[in-house]
Amino acid sequence: MPLRLLKYALSRKHPAPRFFRDCTEPKKSYDAVIIGGGGHGLAAAYYLAKDHGITNVAVLEKGYIGGGNTGRNTTIVRSNYLTPEGVNFYDASVKIYEGLSEELDINLFYSTRGHFTLAHTESALRTMRWRAEVNKHVGVDSYVVGPDEISKACPQLDISCSGKAPIVGALYHGPGSIARHDAVAWGYARGADSMGVEIFQNTEVTGLDIQSGKIKGVHTSRGYIATNKVLSAVAGFTPRITNMAGVDTPIVIHPLQACVSEPMKPWLDTILVSGSLHVYVSQSSRGELVMGSSLDPYEVHSTRSSLDFVEGLTSHMLDMFPFLSNVKIVRQWAGMADMTPDFSPIMGTTPVEGFYLDAGWGTWGFKATPISGKTMAATMANDQAPELIKPFRLSRFEDYDLTGEKGAASVGH
Amino acid sequence: MKLLTCPVNGTRPLSEFVFGGEMRNMPDPAQASDSAWAAYVYNRTGAPGLKKEWWFHSPSGTWFVAERNTLTDQVARTYLYGQEDKA
Amino acid sequence: MSKRLPQRASEWLKRDKPISFYFEGQKYQAYEGDTISSALWAAGETVLGRSFKYHRPRGVLSLANHDVNVMLADGTDTNMRGDVLPVQDGMQLTVVNTDGGVKNDKKRFIDAISSILPVGFYYKAFHTPRSLFPFWENIIRKSAGLGVVNFNYPRDLKRKLHTHCDLLIIGAGPTGLTAALMAAPHGLNIIVVDENAQAGGSLSYDMGGSDESAKRLAELLAELAKYPNVTLRTGGYAAGYYTDHLIPIVETTGITKVRAKAVIVASGAFEQPPVFRNNDLPGVMLATAAQRLLARYATKPCESAVVFAANKQGYRAAMDLLDAGVTVKAIVDLRAEGEPCSLVDAIKSRGVAIYNGACVYEVLPAANKFGVKGAVICSYDEASAKPLLHDRFTIACDGIIMSAGWAPAAALLYQAGTAMRYEKSAEQFVPAKLPAGMFAAGKVNGIFDLAQRLQDGARAASEALAYLGKQVPTVTVDRDYIASPSHPYPMVEHPKGKNFVDFDEDISIKDFVHAAQEGFDNIELMKRFTTVGMGPSQGKHSNMNAIRILARIRQLPVERIGTTTARPFFHPTPIGHLAGRGLHPHRLTTLHGWHEAHGAEFTDVGVWQRPAWYRRAGLEKQQAIYEEALAVRKAAGMIDVGTLGKLEVRGPDAAEFLERFYTGSFKTQKIGRTRYALLLDEAGVMVDDGIACRIAEDYFYITASTTNAAAVYREMQRWLQIWQLDVGLVNVTGAYGGINLAGPAARGILSKLTLRPLDDASLPFGAVCDTEIAGVPARLIRVGFVSDLAFEMHVPAGSTQHVWNALLENGVAEGLRPFGTDTQRLLRLEMGNHLIGQDTDGLTQPFEAGSDGAIQFAKPFFIGQRSLQIIARKPLNKRLVPFTLSEGYQGETINECNLVIGTDGNIKGRVTSIAFSPTVGRFIGFAYVDPANVAEGAAFNIRTDSGSLVMARVAATPFVQLQSEA
Repeated sequence: MPLRLLKYALSRKHPAPRFFRDCTEPKKSYDAVIIGGGGHGLAAAYYLAKDHGITNVAVLEKGYIGGGNTGRNTTIVRSNYLTPEGVNFYDASVKIYEGLSEELDINLFYSTRGHFTLAHTESALRTMRWRAEVNKHVGVDSYVVGPDEISKACPQLDISCSGKAPIVGALYHGPGSIARHDAVAWGYARGADSMGVEIFQNTEVTGLDIQSGKIKGVHTSRGYIATNKVLSAVAGFTPRITNMAGVDTPIVIHPLQACVSEPMKPWLDTILVSGSLHVYVSQSSRGELVMGSSLDPYEVHSTRSSLDFVEGLTSHMLDMFPFLSNVKIVRQWAGMADMTPDFSPIMGTTPVEGFYLDAGWGTWGFKATPISGKTMAATMANDQAPELIKPFRLSRFEDYDLTGEKGAASVGH
Repeated sequence: MKLLTCPVNGTRPLSEFVFGGEMRNMPDPAQASDSAWAAYVYNRTGAPGLKKEWWFHSPSGTWFVAERNTLTDQVARTYLYGQEDKA
Repeated sequence: MSKRLPQRASEWLKRDKPISFYFEGQKYQAYEGDTISSALWAAGETVLGRSFKYHRPRGVLSLANHDVNVMLADGTDTNMRGDVLPVQDGMQLTVVNTDGGVKNDKKRFIDAISSILPVGFYYKAFHTPRSLFPFWENIIRKSAGLGVVNFNYPRDLKRKLHTHCDLLIIGAGPTGLTAALMAAPHGLNIIVVDENAQAGGSLSYDMGGSDESAKRLAELLAELAKYPNVTLRTGGYAAGYYTDHLIPIVETTGITKVRAKAVIVASGAFEQPPVFRNNDLPGVMLATAAQRLLARYATKPCESAVVFAANKQGYRAAMDLLDAGVTVKAIVDLRAEGEPCSLVDAIKSRGVAIYNGACVYEVLPAANKFGVKGAVICSYDEASAKPLLHDRFTIACDGIIMSAGWAPAAALLYQAGTAMRYEKSAEQFVPAKLPAGMFAAGKVNGIFDLAQRLQDGARAASEALAYLGKQVPTVTVDRDYIASPSHPYPMVEHPKGKNFVDFDEDISIKDFVHAAQEGFDNIELMKRFTTVGMGPSQGKHSNMNAIRILARIRQLPVERIGTTTARPFFHPTPIGHLAGRGLHPHRLTTLHGWHEAHGAEFTDVGVWQRPAWYRRAGLEKQQAIYEEALAVRKAAGMIDVGTLGKLEVRGPDAAEFLERFYTGSFKTQKIGRTRYALLLDEAGVMVDDGIACRIAEDYFYITASTTNAAAVYREMQRWLQIWQLDVGLVNVTGAYGGINLAGPAARGILSKLTLRPLDDASLPFGAVCDTEIAGVPARLIRVGFVSDLAFEMHVPAGSTQHVWNALLENGVAEGLRPFGTDTQRLLRLEMGNHLIGQDTDGLTQPFEAGSDGAIQFAKPFFIGQRSLQIIARKPLNKRLVPFTLSEGYQGETINECNLVIGTDGNIKGRVTSIAFSPTVGRFIGFAYVDPANVAEGAAFNIRTDSGSLVMARVAATPFVQLQSEA
């Protein structure tokens, strides 16, 4: 039993103090306002305070912290992307994640389990090799493995996929991890709060005050707040905020659904993704299988669940693991994803001075949480995006200079 | 599964349809500036609301327009392209 | 000690069908009709399970699948719910998640140290130092989970059914049955569904000391049986609500997807446990569970009971206990005012003491916590929700029957988008605004009195009928309560805790208090931090109490706390049921059978299955492919291209349409000639290519790639609507088969089957004609994808086999062989033809692919033109070139997608195709390289898998000598 736990339990001090204050009355002005109390917004607040000494910051959250996609994703962290720009960026995120539990002093259950992206066709395997080669070039641990190695890591997997879609190989990514997603938001919230950042829950932004192309403040359900810097970190709701700013983007909202099984004794040690079968699955430390599939095919600003999704996903799960027939799905849910044409995020400055965008997170926002927070904080502090995120600038579309994660054209959560 | 009404074939389950995206008016390519053209190509009206969208009924090969509230996912009406007035 | 009662009128047991089964190694007797839990309880067994976290002994709580106290494994299956699963003869059951059996679970020590495992403890430890976390994680993972999955469990292929109805009624209790009866005479197609094995709901167990319920149920069922338009489905649950009234009903045999025009939710309410110390001990159970045991399973919950009540239900249960011969030691009523109903006198007259304004302060456990020894009773101050210990006393008993309130079974209502409000007089959330076509009645609507529930069922039916266009009188319901069915705060604090709120997750009151103090003080954060409601029973017995506790902590009214979102599924639903038959539909060409019979190895291409190559005795795959390729180079080969998209474009504006759709020019195209057709999207990205055959002035026949055919056709149709040109489009992909015959002997072979002259003058490269081949009408195209001497024949699908056979018969002697797509890839590479999708990706534009020649910029318009004009002014980042490796290259294999590395060490591009060409005698391929370095002969480096660099040189194409030059 770790000493800390004993100490904690025996001390008369528990419960521990509040993770963050219950702020309800915003000041008249702040040095910076962050819209969105998800992992990204809270991380940006944390790094604004920690890296740049900017602590007079308000985080405005429409619901409760971590209640958007931070709390709805399937918690996979990885960096095996396709473009060097993408790999570098997500690798930086993985590196922060690895030390984040210690830094934030909260156990994020950051669990490095290895990540297999399964290929069922030669052409899919070709894409795996493409990613592997780019990863290796950048120094990220990814390589193509054959069916035997997959079987060794996951003996329960039916390599033939019930004869329907035999697995011919996979992209293996050692650093692939899962984490306790809510705790990421809570940890950043506590860290930011302790440095003076004020977090307002149940606080909705109703308008942006923009004068002569500069941001001057935000209108909220708790009144007007003056500020010269506003970050929108509201994946799933981005178009509503950019609409207020008069900034056009390519972002379209599609729901992304997931589901979870009832708990069983852990048997699945790795993270598995099949692009062809539209399945990604891992087993949490509670023993539940956490599963997702591809995006819903059309735009809806809603987190409704659909039966088609879970029917398709379970059918493919059974191709991979035929013995799960009588394992039960407990719950399905959905998040709203900001989709971009090239499957890369949109980060950095915008045509409105002082209005910054952290958006377009598609289905990969959770894994980018630390690095997006860090780079967006730098962008806000310096009014200029760091090199690492320049490939993700909004103007790349006007420049026909896309950052083509779409090239992989496979599911890859 | 959601139901959708094809103006030719009637109400059918969503699995028979393909979403064709928002209906957008193409600017005159000869007149549009580069950035206006790029905006047409890439940018979308992402905010929720009642939108005109392209939908395709696959089995019959019928494209039509659906006026759909993307917040509530409720379809106000559907009609063939160019027959808005008759709808 | 058996708790089985003599036969009762209400019971579901088949006394003539005794069975036996094993539980934890011991043999037990039961009757058909028993559930596993009822059989064990009847046999006197109390410890039916262990709790998930603290491994505390657990017995019956709800007997209704509202908790997972009893989770079992039978050697094949696991996580089986004993409370509702019918017991079967010969079952060999064990309890999940124990170490050493349910009685001697070695992990029971965790209960003793639970104070050092407070809520959220795992967030606060194990993470420093970082290096030790994997060690702790391993331990945590081992203790996680419930049952052990059987890796040999057979794959179930469950059927799925679809059905439509006018009215779906969820719940066959008194409310649902009454609603059905009201609606039945209107000729509607009505389905009533209930998860229980038999209809009746509370009428089947909630007797309250009279036979009224049973009589009413018999009447309702008899009446309903007269209507053939009403289907009563028991043993199936409505698993969720999906858009447009789609409700899957889950039964043992599979799922039925019901599409209803209107839905009445009469799903009742979940009884909520009052919260007090040791309220989880075996022998402490909900009043409705006790009543279910008594009425359905003729089983006494205990011998002597203390009833802990805060509503009428407790008194009704007490009557049922007394009627069954159970000693009721006392009724302890949390309410100072006590119970106003007339049952009080009846109970008092039977010598039962009633203590108002009192609580069960704690339950005294029997040895090993395997049961109840007694209850400590004391006064209770409702205002402060505090037990008043001054007058506490102990009553010896072996059971506590508890009833303090309800939570609506409103999951489907929530999923449908119902706005709920808190009805203070019922202390319950009830529907405030229902979506169109959804109706709610009975307990889920906050109505508990039986007569009022019947009225409410009729009311909902009348509203549903009106919604469905029937003329019916309106029905009104008196919603009045003599006393609230639910207590606003049925919690009894205790300094030693173990007063459980969530039995799945072992969460007690102090956990909520601590969570709130740490800042997790809104319901969603509290749920996530404490995990309340996240267990397999999804908060059915815990969410309402959690909300009440949080409201009390925050000193807010319950409605300000709100509820957590109710997601599907109502009950956890098996993967096999949801998956159904696991269909993988694909398309086969008419030649598929032939391919199979001749050793084809198939590959999936889009929705199609195509031969990749043909097995040959004694040949490895690579060798077989080489032989197929060499046949084409030296003699002839043929491939089934029936999967190609085949699109007819007809009409006066056909050429104009193609000019706008594709990048090339078609107005000047001569009849009987083909042209390359390249399709871009509006961003200028290459989407597909094919050939356009001009058959007549106003008639083009277009091919599209196998994978993209459907999408190309779809886009054609869309643009045609926008452009409003006088053109008709027909997708004839499935109507025609296709055979590509290639190689130096091709002409000779084909000439035996057609009168059409095939020489270069009569049918030059790029020509197309309609003719007859082997007596079959055919469209014959001179193509050049895999060889410069190749003929593509498109014939009616049904005749393809005939033509294929005829070609074989006439060609085998010439060396003709069939070849597959793997060989085709090699052949086209030898010809220097790139392949969209292989040599391009989702963002490649034609300048990068070297397809500049296919772009007719001078046209007024084509899709992607304006974007290409912008792109053309920008520097190119990479360019696709053909290349060769040095002659005799023997080094490490170069794979497709190995990177091209510049002298600066940066990525310049990648290899998109590479193969050893037996004809060229070299490795040949395509790669993206630095656009400054594309001249023929220019060298560049490719990095292999292992990291070494291999030099390649830009080459000229075609790689092979053309037939025309031979």
